[in-house]
Amino acid sequence: MGKPLAQKVLLIGWDAADWKLINPLLDQGLMPTLDAFVDHGVMGNLATLRPILSPMLWNSIATGKRPDKHGILGFMEPDPQSGGVRPVTSTSRKVKALWNILTQRGYKTHVLGWFAGHPAEPINGISVSDLFPYALGPLDKEWPLPPGAVHPENMRERFASLRMHPQEVTEAAILPWIPRAADVDQEKDKGLQSFAKILSENCSIHNAATWILQNEPWDFLAVYYNGIDHFCHGFMHFHPPRMEGIPEEKFEIYKDVVNNAYRFHDMMLQTLLDLAGPETTVVLVSDHGFHSDHLRPRGIPNEPAGPAVQHRQFGVICMKGEHLKQDERIYGATLLDITPTILTLFGLPVGEDMDGRVLVQAFEKLPEITRIPSWENEAGECGMHPADLRMDPAAAQAVLQQFVALGYIQPLSEDQAKAVESAVREQQYNLARVYLDSRRYTEALAILEELAKKWPDQPRFMQHLAQCYLALGRRNEAKAILQQLLVFEPKPAKPSEKKIEADAEKQAEKQVEREPRPVEIQRAENQTAEPPAEDSVVETPVVEAQPTGEQPKPRPWADLLLGIIHFEEGDMDAALACLLKAEQSDPHLPDLHLRIGETYLRQKRVQDAERAFQRALEIDGDSPEAHLGLAVVRLRQRRNQESAEQALLAVGLQHFLPLGHFYLGVALARLGHRERATLAFESALSMLPGLMAAHRWLAALHTQSGGDLEKATRHREIFLRMRRQRQTQATT
Amino acid sequence: MMQMLAAGGMAVLTDGQRSADDDNPRGYYEWERIKQLPQDPACIAEAEGKAVKVISQLLFALPGAYDCRIIFMERPLAEVVASQVEMIRRRGTSGAALSQAVLIAALQSHLNQVNASLQHRPNILLCRVEYHQVLRDPMCASETVQQFLHQTLDIASMAQQVNQSLYRCRTEGTVFPKE
Repeated sequence: MGKPLAQKVLLIGWDAADWKLINPLLDQGLMPTLDAFVDHGVMGNLATLRPILSPMLWNSIATGKRPDKHGILGFMEPDPQSGGVRPVTSTSRKVKALWNILTQRGYKTHVLGWFAGHPAEPINGISVSDLFPYALGPLDKEWPLPPGAVHPENMRERFASLRMHPQEVTEAAILPWIPRAADVDQEKDKGLQSFAKILSENCSIHNAATWILQNEPWDFLAVYYNGIDHFCHGFMHFHPPRMEGIPEEKFEIYKDVVNNAYRFHDMMLQTLLDLAGPETTVVLVSDHGFHSDHLRPRGIPNEPAGPAVQHRQFGVICMKGEHLKQDERIYGATLLDITPTILTLFGLPVGEDMDGRVLVQAFEKLPEITRIPSWENEAGECGMHPADLRMDPAAAQAVLQQFVALGYIQPLSEDQAKAVESAVREQQYNLARVYLDSRRYTEALAILEELAKKWPDQPRFMQHLAQCYLALGRRNEAKAILQQLLVFEPKPAKPSEKKIEADAEKQAEKQVEREPRPVEIQRAENQTAEPPAEDSVVETPVVEAQPTGEQPKPRPWADLLLGIIHFEEGDMDAALACLLKAEQSDPHLPDLHLRIGETYLRQKRVQDAERAFQRALEIDGDSPEAHLGLAVVRLRQRRNQESAEQALLAVGLQHFLPLGHFYLGVALARLGHRERATLAFESALSMLPGLMAAHRWLAALHTQSGGDLEKATRHREIFLRMRRQRQTQATT
Repeated sequence: MMQMLAAGGMAVLTDGQRSADDDNPRGYYEWERIKQLPQDPACIAEAEGKAVKVISQLLFALPGAYDCRIIFMERPLAEVVASQVEMIRRRGTSGAALSQAVLIAALQSHLNQVNASLQHRPNILLCRVEYHQVLRDPMCASETVQQFLHQTLDIASMAQQVNQSLYRCRTEGTVFPKE
């Protein structure tokens, strides 16, 4: 056990919080609590995982593990009791969350509202499930808590009384947010109802959290607020600047809701900090960001969890506490790092089976990090549900199928059967995307092949299958699928749905096309395009779509992938032709411009490449690959200082970017910073040991005066051996 | 067990729709409407004062408004699965796409969940009866059931219903229990 660096830890989750919205509010003095927080602590981007689905992400935050390990694979799962589906439950989580580990070690631990937190777990403290705040009946009738919403059971009535009902959201609460609420025709426009629901649910969670902080002993408290995410899904379309297609009247009514949501959370944060006390270490995180600018989609993909297209790849992290740095920015954090970091704050060992790392850069001094193989093997009461309450939902579904086959129970209704089939299919799809995200292509392939075979009418499965083939170097199979997709026409939609779906599909494709990464990086890391983002639980206004034309539907992402294949085959002209065709269909695809830039670089058209990377940054200023591309451009232009700056920006945005560290090393070496360059090359090699050029650079740097000749010899030997191997492979 | 209860003088709720077959030569004693329990929990009211056969899955749907005494028949799951596989084959339907071993594990989890859901339900009393125990000592099993039900039953008639020749689907290694 290491030395504890925190007496108490308060973990606050703000779903979908994004610096892009927070920073202007901080500048205007409209989020004073968070402003003071970051002044006294560290802040940074928190990179998300794909697919960007909140239940999966929040459980990765709480376990330090990817979803294939923790077992929460989407929003819905089959319900073995009803035979239908239900929101994902805590009984489906296969591994210990932070609160279980801390319970096991005797800490007084509370958790509130966490995604997939129902039924409440029997931890050493109070557990309030995510179903706790939902009002299932009118205020004047009973609106009982669902069974299992609160642990311990004897606190049930106490917490039931802390809830706020949407009908308790009065004019006085609405008008500060929506001053023109009286202009809303509530028969046609459900915006105010939606607003009241979100506000009351978050107040309920906040009431429960503050009650615990005031009345119960505690060492760790985790509280999750869905407010920012839900307000954004409901009202981001009305956020300034006014989007095309949004009526001015509605824009004027709802335009301040999103900013006010952040200000409201800032006020709640102040209460939490006051009650937690100055001795508490506070960690505030979000699972992803939310597009709030010109990247806001105009429609929602017509597929499960389609609203996740609105999510951005970076959430937020802020931490403050006794042993943490003050007023510093940290780089390269991912949401997998939260659990290892909090365990280290408590002086507890990190599980070697956790996928995240300790955010050492946030600490004043390098913390002592201890490790154990896995917390899963540690004996002792951890406050998880007993094994008899945990069951693999897919196995449960198989048992139901067995009973139906035996005639013991009625077959599922058509609706139920469809819902179950959809839930199981989406869980499989999400699992495949988890494998893609973590570069386990063989595992992903097996699932995607089955999905594409079973649902040939869903291009998303074939698209990911093509990406998977590409990553595995099976270009011909990828090409065959893409050519099939380019002539694929889905079944015609019902007339009333057609316009929206057309727009939705376009948006889905848009998202899909954002995924692939620069070809150079892809080649180097043997990785492929990432899957599209998805998710959401709140109804979102859907903007009128453009009518579809008579021409075959353009599939720019298929052209994009074909361009990648041509690039990998060395046919730059064909690659460029495909990429430019994709650009004609949809010029707003940031990753498309990265590909174009890469192709121009290969053709030695440096200025064209620069333009393409700049274009990518215009679309997404937080694209690490675009900064990386510009770093390469600047190197070619011998503008080494600027190259180093771009490479630093790239690795700051995404720490696991081996070529970012490599090109940073090249720029620093040219600038004469031998030691820093050495560190950069070593970082690149730690991420990508096969990066031959890094060994060559290190051999050269260690040969210089002050270098380590032994290391120089070793790196030279590795370089020569790798080069021989590559030459041998090339000749055979 | 349904035959035992009927022979003992207990009123049983059955519609006779499912007739005897090779799997169950003495008939099924089933009441088709019980399958509606999840959608229509109040249908259990028709079983008041009677015995009704309920598959474990449907116990989740038992309403809280009725006092129920459940005789929970327990049999080694390997035998249950072997029996189910044979029944599914005869019915020409398709069951769970799982290996027998995985299906046994899944059924065990299912039973664990059922048991957990029945705990702490004040309206439910539970009596577990082991299938092999009934075969081994039908009199003792009948007495146990009588005590649990708080009813005077014809125990001798009940015990006579136990026909060991109907014990089939033994799994490899299962030894027929002897007196």
